[in-house]
Amino acid sequence: MDPFFEYQLMQTRRQFFGQTGLRLGGLALAQLCGSQLLQGAVTAPNTGNLPPGSVHPPLAGLPHFKPKAQSVIYIHMNGGPSQLDLWDYKPELRERFNQDLPDSVRGTQRITGMTSGQSRFPVAPSMFEFKQYGQSGRWVSELLPHTAKVVDDIALIKTVHTSAINHDPACTFVMTGAEVPGRASLGSWLSYGLGSLNNDLPAFVVLTPQFPSGSNGQALFSRMWGSGFLPGTHNGVALRGVGDPVLYLKNPEGLLVGERRVMLDALNKLNRKGFEKSGDPEIQNRMAQYEMAFRMQTSVPELVDISNEPESVLELYGAEVKKSGSFAHSALMARRLVERGVRVVQIMHRGWDQHGSLPKQLRDQCVDTDQGTGALIQDLKQRGLLENTLVVWGGEFGRTVYSQGTLTKTNYGRDHHPRNFCMWMAGGGIKGGISLGETDDFSYNVTESPVHINELNATILHCLGVDHSRLSVKFQGLDMRLTGVEPLAPVKAILA
Amino acid sequence: MKSSSFHLVLSGSWVGAVMVFFSVGVGVGKAEERVISFNQDVRPILSENCFGCHGFDASKRKAKLRLDVPEGALGRAESGEVAVVPGKPQESELWKRLVTQDKEDVMPPIKSHKTLTQSQKDTLELWIRQGAVYQKHWAFEAPRKAPFPKVAGGEVGGNAIDLFLKNGIQRAGLRLSPEADKTTLLRRVTMALTGLPPQIAEVDAFLADTSADAYEKVVDRLLGSRHYGEQMARHWLDVARYGDTHGLHLDNERSMWPYRDWVVQAFNRNQSFKEFTIEQLAGDLLPNPTPEQLTASGFNRCNVTTSEGGAIASEFLFRYAVDRTVTTAQAWMGLTVGCAVCHDHKFDPITQKEFYQLYAFFNKAADPAMDGNAQLTAPVVRLATPEQTVRMGLLDQQVADAQKAFKEGMKALVYQDPAEMDPSIPAKETEKVLIEDAFPEGALVVVQPATEKQTWVTGNEGPVSSGLKSLKIGGSGVAQNFYNKGAAPFEIPSEARVSMMVFLDPVEVPRSVMIQIHSTSGWAHRAIWGDPEGIGFGTLGTTTRYAAGELPPEGNWARLEVDVEKIGLKAGDQITGIALTLAGGVAYFDQVSLSWRVDAAKDPSQSFKVWLAAHEGKETQGFSVAINKVLKTGAAKRTAADHNQLLEYYLSQVCMLTKPVLQPIQNQWTTLKAEREALDKEIPGSLVMKDVPEGRDSFVMSRGEYDKPGEKVLPNVPAVFPALDPAWPLNRLSLAKWLVSDEHPLTSRVTVNRIWQQLFGVGLVKSAGDFGSQGEVPVDAELLDWLAVTFRESDWDIKKLVRLIVTSAAYRRDSGGDNVSWSKDPENRMLARGPRFRLDAEELRDTALACSGLLDLTLGGRGVNTYQPPNIWEPVGFVGSNTRFYKQDRGSALYRRSLYSFIKRTAPPPFMANFDAPSREQSCVRRERSNTPMQALQLMNDVQYVEAARAFAERLIVEGGTPTERVTRAFRTVLGRKPSPEETEIVLGALNQHLATYQQFPDAACRLVLQGESKPNMSLPMPELAAWTLVCNLVLNLDETLTQH
Repeated sequence: MDPFFEYQLMQTRRQFFGQTGLRLGGLALAQLCGSQLLQGAVTAPNTGNLPPGSVHPPLAGLPHFKPKAQSVIYIHMNGGPSQLDLWDYKPELRERFNQDLPDSVRGTQRITGMTSGQSRFPVAPSMFEFKQYGQSGRWVSELLPHTAKVVDDIALIKTVHTSAINHDPACTFVMTGAEVPGRASLGSWLSYGLGSLNNDLPAFVVLTPQFPSGSNGQALFSRMWGSGFLPGTHNGVALRGVGDPVLYLKNPEGLLVGERRVMLDALNKLNRKGFEKSGDPEIQNRMAQYEMAFRMQTSVPELVDISNEPESVLELYGAEVKKSGSFAHSALMARRLVERGVRVVQIMHRGWDQHGSLPKQLRDQCVDTDQGTGALIQDLKQRGLLENTLVVWGGEFGRTVYSQGTLTKTNYGRDHHPRNFCMWMAGGGIKGGISLGETDDFSYNVTESPVHINELNATILHCLGVDHSRLSVKFQGLDMRLTGVEPLAPVKAILA
Repeated sequence: MKSSSFHLVLSGSWVGAVMVFFSVGVGVGKAEERVISFNQDVRPILSENCFGCHGFDASKRKAKLRLDVPEGALGRAESGEVAVVPGKPQESELWKRLVTQDKEDVMPPIKSHKTLTQSQKDTLELWIRQGAVYQKHWAFEAPRKAPFPKVAGGEVGGNAIDLFLKNGIQRAGLRLSPEADKTTLLRRVTMALTGLPPQIAEVDAFLADTSADAYEKVVDRLLGSRHYGEQMARHWLDVARYGDTHGLHLDNERSMWPYRDWVVQAFNRNQSFKEFTIEQLAGDLLPNPTPEQLTASGFNRCNVTTSEGGAIASEFLFRYAVDRTVTTAQAWMGLTVGCAVCHDHKFDPITQKEFYQLYAFFNKAADPAMDGNAQLTAPVVRLATPEQTVRMGLLDQQVADAQKAFKEGMKALVYQDPAEMDPSIPAKETEKVLIEDAFPEGALVVVQPATEKQTWVTGNEGPVSSGLKSLKIGGSGVAQNFYNKGAAPFEIPSEARVSMMVFLDPVEVPRSVMIQIHSTSGWAHRAIWGDPEGIGFGTLGTTTRYAAGELPPEGNWARLEVDVEKIGLKAGDQITGIALTLAGGVAYFDQVSLSWRVDAAKDPSQSFKVWLAAHEGKETQGFSVAINKVLKTGAAKRTAADHNQLLEYYLSQVCMLTKPVLQPIQNQWTTLKAEREALDKEIPGSLVMKDVPEGRDSFVMSRGEYDKPGEKVLPNVPAVFPALDPAWPLNRLSLAKWLVSDEHPLTSRVTVNRIWQQLFGVGLVKSAGDFGSQGEVPVDAELLDWLAVTFRESDWDIKKLVRLIVTSAAYRRDSGGDNVSWSKDPENRMLARGPRFRLDAEELRDTALACSGLLDLTLGGRGVNTYQPPNIWEPVGFVGSNTRFYKQDRGSALYRRSLYSFIKRTAPPPFMANFDAPSREQSCVRRERSNTPMQALQLMNDVQYVEAARAFAERLIVEGGTPTERVTRAFRTVLGRKPSPEETEIVLGALNQHLATYQQFPDAACRLVLQGESKPNMSLPMPELAAWTLVCNLVLNLDETLTQH
């Protein structure tokens, strides 16, 4: 008998976990049991076709309400993409080329140590052309021709703001809701709360594609997909472009597949003896994990094998798609992952930190990612997946209107700007073709509808059927939430 | 009757080397209405559901009602109602609000999403009925030794610990598991105290020892093992958030490992926890601290730090102090003071002001906001070996000698500045050729555009003015050859001209020709001949594009010359690049020169005065940092010593008259100094604590924002605790002494609890990091207090405490249990069963290495990089970081104990992270224990485990015997015990299948056994070795192997 199902039977027979037992050991248990076994009378509305005997069931009572999306793909553009050169169209700035940014605009806001010593703050209008696209007539930079094709599916938020001014705290903030290391990441929260729809793959997968060599690449931190105070099971699992796609997935050289099965069969028999001797249910759990590991050895290679993708689909993503570790390849992987029921996919793309040589670097960055991004939306849509997949795009902050370093007509740099920046969302739960919020003439301050990172995260949770104020865990004496302690609400204006 | 037995335990060694049996004949009393304890039963309910709005935090308090103190609950509230009327639930507003059907009135409010269970409501009702007695939170009262409980029925084995546990176990209706068999016990205690499995010989010795105290003897042996300290340190390093990198942004390597080794040694020499505390929190403040005490103070330098460009210093100084405050409170007091950074603690009596008073102890640390991405960010301690100290002394002497020789050489020299001579030396015309047949040596030349028209030509190929070649330049538009990197700079003498020879092609006549000079201010010096608009670089009419005149006649060599002043250069400037440029057509360029009149009185290479005037007040490329600094300070502020330093530099490095004599002596001195510095770099160092001498004011930071200082505060401890001795200075040393003072209610409890947790898997207080009202109440408060007081009274003797716990009957029980036991107490909180939990990451790897025989037991030293899959560091690493690329170590470093693995905090070793080891970015007092498929994959496939299995298999084969005997040895090596016949049969079954396969595929066998860097014994039959490798892989993956039990 498959030890996993045997294990389930054991659970019902023994019923050993009362409410108190359901803390640590129980959590792991919850990972393994069918949700129906544990939740008893709790009715979970539309959990999205859980497979029988789900290995990653949701927490009891989750989702809190009917979700619009069952998965999320979060494209994190690490470094702080320039809103002024991509989305926040300010044609009037051309007339202010090289004029000083008025003090009244800058106010008393702090600026980073990198430009605080500059004698002046000359306005650097974007050198890129913008055009209107789609039914919505959205202005989009010439750098994003492919994303421009799907603007009618996108809700653009021009007024996201954050409290952090440097990469490390800002990235930690955008991904974990706090600037200081130690919290759980967005993906871990979702894995913890909602579980996964696939028994053979992890619930939360992270991709870190390569980026153009000439770009200014900042560091990533594994805490950005870490589980913090949540159990380690909810760590994002890296799907890697180099080596094993999942750590330690491949059998060692010379270990023939049949031999692994022989070894596992013996292991199961011996562990069952151990269980009979001690009665520790954790042994059953361990046996189930070994079986899942074995299944992953098949499911993951199948996942990363794109040989059966139709040529038309590969063309959509562009030639780079065949290169493992490229952004386009990662975008295709993201689709394949959500298609298989993985709850959260994060693509962490680096190189968006344009302090200098912005025109060249930003163009390279967009060439590297734009086609894959546009293709992902189209591909999801043509498969009917977009309506239950939420796609999020954005960085950790924006960039200043004034130039860092020398400003010429064809070259400039921009410093960090946490006051406002652009992000977009598309797919499940999102109203397409709209734009939210306005900034002043210099894209320096929000003038209408600010959206804080915590509100953004609350919105993401909302689309997945989670009330952000009710997904909490007690840690160090506090009820920890992804979205902090201040009262706030999801951004209604962009919800479908 | 039996009370004499109690005395035996109390007055004898409390470590309880002897097993004492009690038999207490008092029957269990008739079931009565249970007595509600406020701390045990009521506070957790109120804390979870009520204190958020009706608790300690005045700013968030609703309706001015406070339920955490009796004055609040029993007094009349704002509304006129009384929340709690002792004895009368029906008259108590609190009770009414709990049970009302009115959606407006019900408590907790509906929108809080909190509800009480029926049994919680019953508890509150009963508590009110029984008189609503309040107690101060248990953890804030000093622990007292309660009288030993009266134990009902049956025998109590073991020591004092078991006296306390007995009743709880009985009340819970659990049956005690019997004592574990000897091999299990030996493996358990060896693993617990050293992190390694016992060797077969040790098992045999223990089995053979039938004396009554055989077990205690083993415990003493293990406590004396040097691996005891490693095992204890592993847990403490989680608390200390120890790592080998800074943790933020670049995440460069930092040298902290001497602190790690200090912790190991402190446990090994059984330093009292009191000193352990004082040295780590304030080793630097002790009188004449030893290097070890300074190293210990590194505890609070383990926090993550940054050097991110643009980071704001005051913000990070604030964060570091907050981290140190939070970590110290967490580690010693089990308090979660982090919430009080922003506001009064909601549940515990720690006000925001009190937080900042604690913070004030740490807010004067001398380490900078920016760590400089350096290995050793000051303040540090250097730890030289005796040999290094000797070598250093020798070198110091040699450096001093060389310096003396130089000074004497200086003194012997007679230098007269020509600028001050009367009469002066007559001037003469001089020229220096910069370019003849090639660009200067080392120049990185760029040719734009790169066409065949641009080339050096010989006399056969075109006109040459001097030397062997000229440079042909041409193209359709602007064409040029230039360099600005790679070559040594030229210094410009006074009144200099720069010139070039130019030959214009008579057929393709250029529009303009140009020479451009690159200096430290960039490409900003240009002279153009011909059409001044022909070449667009620079601004016409300025020194960045100076129109120097007409084009010379074509078809002839002409010398084009310009005063350097016209193009913005002056004496002393450095030429760091030259560009020869033309617009359209073709021209030949030859000999580029600097020419000037050498007037000794005006020549910087002869006159110190002139040289000084040229460099005064600025930085010059090529000069040393020190010299530039002195020059930049300017003449007005220069001391005599500075002036002398400049003169020495000039005479030994610049002046053409004296340099030939002085330079060699100085070089000798410099070389020795460099050697001394290199040695200095070799000597390990460790980050230590120190306060800034002038102190730093602390303020309550409004809402926890670093730039919103409010009320000024002085260092102090929270009012709920015993006060600081007013005679003590307000510094960290006093804080440390206060933490380990006799009256402190928390330190001893928190410490014994953490060690209990280490040994049993779960603490008596499960929330080891939270002893506040949100934490769990102890599963046995009297036992915890008894242990805490006993520990304190033993002068905080950790080995004694460990010995006491592992020699208890509770610790020695079999970890299995019956159905009732597992279902009623799945987490074994009542301890009717022995400890059973998954081993930590480090123990798993060390076990595999130990069984394989590969393990290298060297103690201490810099972190090692063992096997790691590719691409762990690289995808997250910052471009300029020195931990961007993982460089795996070789040889025995691969088999060091896991404690010594290098921890890069932004990408910790996956073999550890995968098994819940914390990233060490913040203090961790309790690891999670997850159970995932990724762990299974690691243990089956990671090269470390496969290689270990292979080496283990070799051992089994080489040591010989029948397959059955080998299987037995495999089990005994890993688990201590022998396999059952059934188990042997299962393993042999697998072995035979593997053997059959590998005999059929010997190539695959070869590949399997070649995993890892250590080489297998190639004389063994490969199929057999491969099959046994898989058998060992199997045994190393057994649940029992992965479990402390």
